[in-house]
Amino acid sequence: MIMAQDRPRILFWQLTILIVWFCIWEWGFELRKVAALKPFVPSLLDPYFISKPSAIWTSFLKLGCFTDKGGFGACFAANPNNLWLATMVTLKNMWWGFLFGSTSGIFAGLILGRSDYLSKIFEPYIVALNSIPRIALVPLIILMFGLGDMSKIVTAWIVVFFVVFFNTFEGTRSVDRDQVAAARLLGASELTVLRTVVIPSALAWVFASLTPAVSFALIGVIVGEFIGAERGLGKLIIEAEARANAAEMMVTIFVMMIVGIILAFIVRRVQAYLLRWQPQFEQPQ
Amino acid sequence: MSGVPVAEALERVVPARAAHATRITVEALDKRFKTAGDDVIAVDNVSFEVRQGEFVALLGPSGCGKSTILNMVAGLLAKSGGRISIDADDVVTGQVNRKVGYIFQRDTVFPWRTVEANIGYGLEIAGVAKAERDAKVARAIEVSGLAGFAKSFPRMLSGGMRQRVALMRTLIMEPEILLMDEPFGALDTHTKLEMHKTLLEIWERERQTVLFVTHDLGEALTLSSRIILLSARPGRLKEDFEVPFARPRDAVSLRETDEFGRLYSHIWHSLGQEFRRTKAE
Repeated sequence: MIMAQDRPRILFWQLTILIVWFCIWEWGFELRKVAALKPFVPSLLDPYFISKPSAIWTSFLKLGCFTDKGGFGACFAANPNNLWLATMVTLKNMWWGFLFGSTSGIFAGLILGRSDYLSKIFEPYIVALNSIPRIALVPLIILMFGLGDMSKIVTAWIVVFFVVFFNTFEGTRSVDRDQVAAARLLGASELTVLRTVVIPSALAWVFASLTPAVSFALIGVIVGEFIGAERGLGKLIIEAEARANAAEMMVTIFVMMIVGIILAFIVRRVQAYLLRWQPQFEQPQ
Repeated sequence: MSGVPVAEALERVVPARAAHATRITVEALDKRFKTAGDDVIAVDNVSFEVRQGEFVALLGPSGCGKSTILNMVAGLLAKSGGRISIDADDVVTGQVNRKVGYIFQRDTVFPWRTVEANIGYGLEIAGVAKAERDAKVARAIEVSGLAGFAKSFPRMLSGGMRQRVALMRTLIMEPEILLMDEPFGALDTHTKLEMHKTLLEIWERERQTVLFVTHDLGEALTLSSRIILLSARPGRLKEDFEVPFARPRDAVSLRETDEFGRLYSHIWHSLGQEFRRTKAE
């Protein structure tokens, strides 16, 4: 059990790890200059591979159009895939992929979960489709939908769909039969049972899949952008790789990390509100 | 709890039907379950009637098919043979009868709804206006001793309180016939007695027709006006007798009377034989 008085100590260690980490990253490779230490410094610490915090910061200011001689506006307009627009494009594609993937996953999960007949019919197909590594489909998807945003949305959609579908299906399956019977005996129709018992009860399962689904949607879009795209964060990374510019890749990776943290936080807040009846989301009184 | 003296409340009761009209008829009821090898006979040729305003306990050892009978009466389970009717209408499996309320042994309260939203569930889905619904729910919460918990979620309540919520969720629909499947079976002795008090108060005021399944002899004697005793599997009708205690009853002091003790040991003897048979098999 974590006590309130432990908090400063936890915070101290968290900060220490962060500072040590950044120090090694920034100056670790310099230690090679000391002959005695050379065998202990791996060559992977070379800023050529991993860049270093100061260079990443400089690169961020440049990519973000903060240090351009022509000013922010001119720099922003000159590059159609600048850091901000690339982030917006990736977020937008991710959002649509997540939205379509989760709604269709929930919908299919509810229908097949409520019907033994349909779930038996579709079972072999779902097992077969689920066995395909989704990433292997990306070149085909780009062939079908082109280099534009649509292929990224479809990739994220497919990745998200299966995660949400399986969880919704299991959640619908595990609805308490007696609770359904109780609702029916109180006068609920099949549709009312679905709305007032099956969906609220399966919601915990659905939400358990939405947090990973957000990460999966991001992965889907980025991989799509790696393989063939005109813009987006994935495209930025690929371009930086072509120029062997580790600092620019790191900037993009940090942006993705921050995007991921913010989105996961939002999902968790929505989840905590909708599932407030469950003990683990109990509000402190 | 309701604040109305029970005797006074009783006088206000105007039976909607002739006092002795038959409400539930069970005739030559059979239930067989198919298992891997052969058919298991769970219920064998059971016949009985429940009349208007009676509180009938269906008593028998575990596994004697008493819950099976109740579920067939409720239309939750298909019968293998015989006839069941409620008010002369045949019971159809899967069809809900609005006159009938059902209480499960298991906790079936909806955990995602607050206490008041649970109790108001049936009214809500029936489209009853919010003002009327709120008034009825508030009264039900008052009567059942759940005051102060209206906005709580079920996980904050004890097992006994959750069963009170389930009871009120059904009673608020004003069922004329109440089917109860060992509703207090999972509760400890003290909580059980508290529930008996509440149920007796409500029933002695409203006089629903009740069919109550239990394996607890003391519970059957405390609550019911008639006990139907079933044999061990396969369930057959063994005895059917009136419980003579006057009403209103007090769930606690009734158990201390000599008459209660005499009747208890008489039935215990009968029931004891059935328990021994169950064990021998």
